[in-house]
Amino acid sequence: MPLDDDAAINAAREKSGEPAVRHKLEFPTTPLGEVPAGGMPTRTLWGDAWRRLRRNKLALVALGYLAIILVFAVTADLWAKPLFGEFMYVDSTTVMQTRFQAPSAMHWMGTDDFGRDELARVVYGARISLAIGIGATTLAVTLGLLLGGLSGYYGGRVDGVIMRMTDVFLAFPYLLFAILLMSVMGPGFWSLVIAIGILGWTTIARVFRSSVLSVKENEYVDAARAMGASDLRILGRHILPNAMAPIIVYSTMSVGGVILSEAALSFLGLGIQPPTPSWGRMLDESQTYMTTHPSLFIWPGLAIVLTVLAFVLLGDGLRDALDVKMKD
Amino acid sequence: MAGDALLKVDDLKMYFHTRDGVVKAVDGVSYELERGGTLGIVGESGSGKSVHALTMMRLVPMPPGRIEGGDVLFKGRSLIAMSDEEIRHVRGNEIAMIFQDPMTSLNPVYRVGRQIAEPLMVHKGASRAEAWDRAVELLRLVGIPNPETRVRDYPHQFSGGMRQRAMIAMALACDPDIVIADEPTTALDVTIQAQIVELMLELQERTGSAIIMITHDLGVVADVADRVLVMYAGKAVEYGTVDEVYYRPLHPYTWGLLDSIPIHGVSEKSELCPIKGQPPSLIFLPSGCPFHPRCPHAQEICRTTVPTLRVIEGSHSSACHFSGDAGFTREGVACEVSPS
Amino acid sequence: MGQYILRRLLQFIPVFLGVTLVLFVLTRVIPGDPVKLLAGERSQDPVVYEAITKAYGLDKPILVQYVNYLGSIVKGDFGQSIATSREVTTIFKEKYPYTVKLALAAIFVEIIIGIGAGVISALRPYSFLDALVTLSTSVLVSLPVFWLGMLLQYFFGIWLKRWTGATLYLPISGAHSATFPDWVHLILPAVTLASVSTAYAARIMRSQLLEVQGQDYVRTAYAKGLSSRAVLWGHSMKNALIPVVTFVALDLGAMLSGAILTETVFNWPGIGYTIFSAIGKRDWPVVIGSTIIVTLVFMVINLVVDIGYAFLDPRIRYDESKA
Repeated sequence: MPLDDDAAINAAREKSGEPAVRHKLEFPTTPLGEVPAGGMPTRTLWGDAWRRLRRNKLALVALGYLAIILVFAVTADLWAKPLFGEFMYVDSTTVMQTRFQAPSAMHWMGTDDFGRDELARVVYGARISLAIGIGATTLAVTLGLLLGGLSGYYGGRVDGVIMRMTDVFLAFPYLLFAILLMSVMGPGFWSLVIAIGILGWTTIARVFRSSVLSVKENEYVDAARAMGASDLRILGRHILPNAMAPIIVYSTMSVGGVILSEAALSFLGLGIQPPTPSWGRMLDESQTYMTTHPSLFIWPGLAIVLTVLAFVLLGDGLRDALDVKMKD
Repeated sequence: MAGDALLKVDDLKMYFHTRDGVVKAVDGVSYELERGGTLGIVGESGSGKSVHALTMMRLVPMPPGRIEGGDVLFKGRSLIAMSDEEIRHVRGNEIAMIFQDPMTSLNPVYRVGRQIAEPLMVHKGASRAEAWDRAVELLRLVGIPNPETRVRDYPHQFSGGMRQRAMIAMALACDPDIVIADEPTTALDVTIQAQIVELMLELQERTGSAIIMITHDLGVVADVADRVLVMYAGKAVEYGTVDEVYYRPLHPYTWGLLDSIPIHGVSEKSELCPIKGQPPSLIFLPSGCPFHPRCPHAQEICRTTVPTLRVIEGSHSSACHFSGDAGFTREGVACEVSPS
Repeated sequence: MGQYILRRLLQFIPVFLGVTLVLFVLTRVIPGDPVKLLAGERSQDPVVYEAITKAYGLDKPILVQYVNYLGSIVKGDFGQSIATSREVTTIFKEKYPYTVKLALAAIFVEIIIGIGAGVISALRPYSFLDALVTLSTSVLVSLPVFWLGMLLQYFFGIWLKRWTGATLYLPISGAHSATFPDWVHLILPAVTLASVSTAYAARIMRSQLLEVQGQDYVRTAYAKGLSSRAVLWGHSMKNALIPVVTFVALDLGAMLSGAILTETVFNWPGIGYTIFSAIGKRDWPVVIGSTIIVTLVFMVINLVVDIGYAFLDPRIRYDESKA
């Protein structure tokens, strides 16, 4: 089950860095807009990256899409109920009249099996997906930086133990592990964040570890150490900034992966519980009515695909813009 | 002599059309090579010396590359106009190439023997066994000890020098008329460099192949070549016999090259005098003479008019407005570490 | 080489112990008492309760249980299901063939379509076809597999059936039926399970082939006078395929650990679904036993891939310093 296997996906991502030129013909060229006669405009790494990202139309569209759904998701409480009516709790007296309505001016995507507005539920689902996506990624990155940093910086036995831990995490079937963790903690928002976050730290840890290993040997790190900087300071001030680019790329792609994991767990009934709308849960519930009301599984599925695709494309764009080689 | 030249390169131009602009990698190069002769092509990286060789062999990916003009005649046939099928029979068979980095130029997943045997099977119709036996002989010829066993090795089991020897063996497999060596010694240790150059000369004597030696190392050229072509920014700037170019250089760029390396017996100066500045961007070439921004002798005309390669005396030509002027010689114009 | 294998084998042991320990601890802290669940709503005789608890060793401290368990699995005894009292090994033997069948079918799809699309894409980089392949792979990796399964079910099982008047359609549930031969039942689950990996296989194939085609040794091959076809199949392919084969093999290992989502959507009676429903029933012997076996399979395949990689790539095979 490759979807559920971080290792396979990362192995693949690592391999899919694309070569820019076919033959290494060397000739000095100067990028457009830089007149060599004049003074070289000073540019930062980030300014440069942004300039390159702006040329990538797909990544820009993805960024725009994500910005829009983020705004809708954050403000959903303000307008969803007034506009589309109650979309969480079921009014048992009117269910039979309001369920399975076709799209209308009032309900753009129709209503679900409990007569709730489908559009409102899809938009509210974005709120859940994005919150868990960002929350679990933050947890995974924090854990990964901490453990990867320790591993790379101290080496020796610490490194050995932490690397064996990543082996254990990667040897375990991902989804099975997630299901067991969810069973321990019980369903719910925070359980999802913690379970997915805990399972996601290994990749970032490995990336950061190798960054630390390569930066550690630089002379400016020695210089900082000679001047009495603490280990924590060296990691935070000297090593972390140099490792930022790959971490940003991985984090972006990881949000998409988390959204898929959340959807899978909720689909299996272990994640977000009703009546709160979550895309995975909506898909699970729609299975019953697949034959008669296929639109109920089309909408939440499309929402997942578009959102995850946006993170994937943005991640690809960032990878190219920041010139990150995806290697373990 | 012009009629029976083995190879005649005439005003060859290869431009790359990139997103950032047109790179004039080779911008009008002409020379002739006789049977059994050795031509040294010298220049900094980016001078177009390697690209020009790949262009002749039609090994430049097109696009982005495009031949914008000129021709290459090999035994009277145009290499540029040939069909893909015809040029394929020239490559490795009549003209063979040795590349700069022997570490990456051999396929890591195949045995050395198979790679040397391959051109024989492709061009000479040799059977697998015949080609294999010949590969052993070739390895012996290039000085690999125990060729019977080493032929079964993979490239990573060879040292850098041995790999370059294997590349030479591969190039010689079909007894080519021309061997183009593209910086064959650059990636090697200094002691190995000399061995490889010696080996190539020794083999040239035996086989009678002509050699085009592309290098930035003037020492190598002085040792092996009988004619020298100096390239700068895609253009030929000086062309002559090795004695002419080394003892009576005409172009200020050649002076700079000679001044920037310590060659015993060639440079009489005790002080090194490196060329200032960087090679120009091939997209934004300077107006006039491409060397003028770095040339200590540049005048107004150098900024406005592109000099052409013209014969100064005998077969010795130069692309400098002032070449041939009285007093405009390397000795006449002192090398100065200018204050600017 | 021998040293390399030995070292990999030694690394195997702590990872295996780690996996089993984590499993044990997790299942112990998960709320829900299997013995109570067994009784369901009925009230249970405390004597019976104690007897069952003792019989499964659930009264002993967790570490003792763990060590005892390790001792018995070495002898091939994985215990009995609490829910059905059947031997875990019997359940496994019954369910695992379905998972293997599904995994092999999915790998077949992955190899044919993934590698094929990758090669086509790489041969004409930046062409329309290449752009199409690249975009489809991006979409495929963004699809939740279970949703893809549902889409396929709807299209091939419901819509097509309705549209052709039940003459042409595909089965969307289970592994056997009177209407279809068994292999037809495999089609939709296999395509679903293969989807994401196929996309990755295509991407890896494309980028590897493009990278290899730009290598110096490919230029050398052209300079020898080989035709483009001879260069592609004789020189580039072997180099480019090494990472792809590695990926596909690792992926097979992952698929053999059970495809919970695909098996759930298609009611496929494989080991993934079995473990998932055993978790719901707190049937720990089934969960732990089956998970240990599939994890072992996964780890063994990983090991074989690593060693096989060394055989495919002579640089590793002969490089003792790397061992």
